[in-house]
Amino acid sequence: MTEGPTGVVPGGPDASPAAGLFELRSAPTSALADQAVAIANACHAMAVRFHRGGKLIVFGTGGAAADAQHVAVEFVHPVIVGKRALPAISLTTDVATVTGVAEEDGMAGIFAHQLRYLAAPEDIALGISADGDNESVRAGLATARAGGLLTVALAGGDGGAIAKEGTVAHVLTAPASDPRIVKELQVTTYHVLWELVHVFFEQPGVLDPEVVA
Amino acid sequence: MTPPGGRRPDQGTVESLYPFLYAGTSDPDAVLDQVRASTVAKIAEIAELRQTVADRDAGRLAECAAAAAARFQAGGRLFAFGNGGSATDAAQLATLFLHPGAGGAGANWPPLPAFGLANDTSVLTALANDIGVDVLFARQLAAFGTSRDIAVGLSTSGNSANLVRAFDEAARRGMLTIGLAGYEGGKMAELDSIDYLFVAPSSSVHRIQEAQTTTYHVLWELTVAAYQQARS
Repeated sequence: MTEGPTGVVPGGPDASPAAGLFELRSAPTSALADQAVAIANACHAMAVRFHRGGKLIVFGTGGAAADAQHVAVEFVHPVIVGKRALPAISLTTDVATVTGVAEEDGMAGIFAHQLRYLAAPEDIALGISADGDNESVRAGLATARAGGLLTVALAGGDGGAIAKEGTVAHVLTAPASDPRIVKELQVTTYHVLWELVHVFFEQPGVLDPEVVA
Repeated sequence: MTPPGGRRPDQGTVESLYPFLYAGTSDPDAVLDQVRASTVAKIAEIAELRQTVADRDAGRLAECAAAAAARFQAGGRLFAFGNGGSATDAAQLATLFLHPGAGGAGANWPPLPAFGLANDTSVLTALANDIGVDVLFARQLAAFGTSRDIAVGLSTSGNSANLVRAFDEAARRGMLTIGLAGYEGGKMAELDSIDYLFVAPSSSVHRIQEAQTTTYHVLWELTVAAYQQARS
């Protein structure tokens, strides 16, 4: 057992593996700052939709399903006192429907089906994918776009197929390849999304599309 | 000073963070500059908080991972729990062990048994309706937990009454107990029932959750690595 650089008691646990894993986060976290303008633009567009009475619909599979639920609770029940509740739902909590659609039509349709029947044109669709290639998320975003929804994607790495297709209005990437680090950057991204949506939303003057392009 | 529960005013008010918006400006460039600068500042904040957690806890994370790996080795299972956003972290932690997935550092690592105790709405609503929210997790641990198992509770405030009850139950059953908290650890920092407590020292709920995500990702990676090593 070799001694780590920090926090090591002689004969105690080796701190270096954990310290090394934390260090892997440094460069991708700094690089996330490059997304600041894209994040601001997405938030402004989302605030416009909420202002028109739209709701937020969030979806992802695997770990991203947990993130989708986190985003929904963030908007409906804000942790910061005094922030108003905004309507948001995630598409993985109705297990009966998700497994029903998956069984009959295949996994790719689990979000598209729900969007087809639960979404209104003024809504916002937010798809979350660690690599940007997830088929059910892409199908959900395509259905949303066809229905007139504002489309936003949190897509890891270079944004994968979601970024390449170029059909999603706002693609926010997370510059990392490890899906765990991507998730960590996406958690920061959606926390900032929530906060900036409120900043714009509370200022009806800036919700005029002419004011902030 | 930490109020009960996770809800509290944020340190910097929105107004102090975005003075341009409150000065009645309609200059779009100024507004965009303002929100961009705020995003960059938050990113610097989380980078610093992660560094603090790494400096404080890297050694204890390794020790905790070794203890958790030994439990899995003995046939134990992991139970993760939390409220609200932390419920989704509990779900993430459970699925990470149960289905690590093909990508990244853990590719082809063995799945290990883990349960998210906030996942079953039938159980949660039954307990909340019949008894109260304080027993949401303790009652499930009483039903499932054994001395080979691991209990992981996540909270930002460190004050959730149902986590305190859950840790009491877990400790009584001889489970390995792991807590993640924010601020200065809240009530969780005062408990004898938590074997390993990892605190993300911040007063922002959002930054705390982001640092906790890294903490449990690192804990998972070290635990599975230790488990693999013990088996080879």
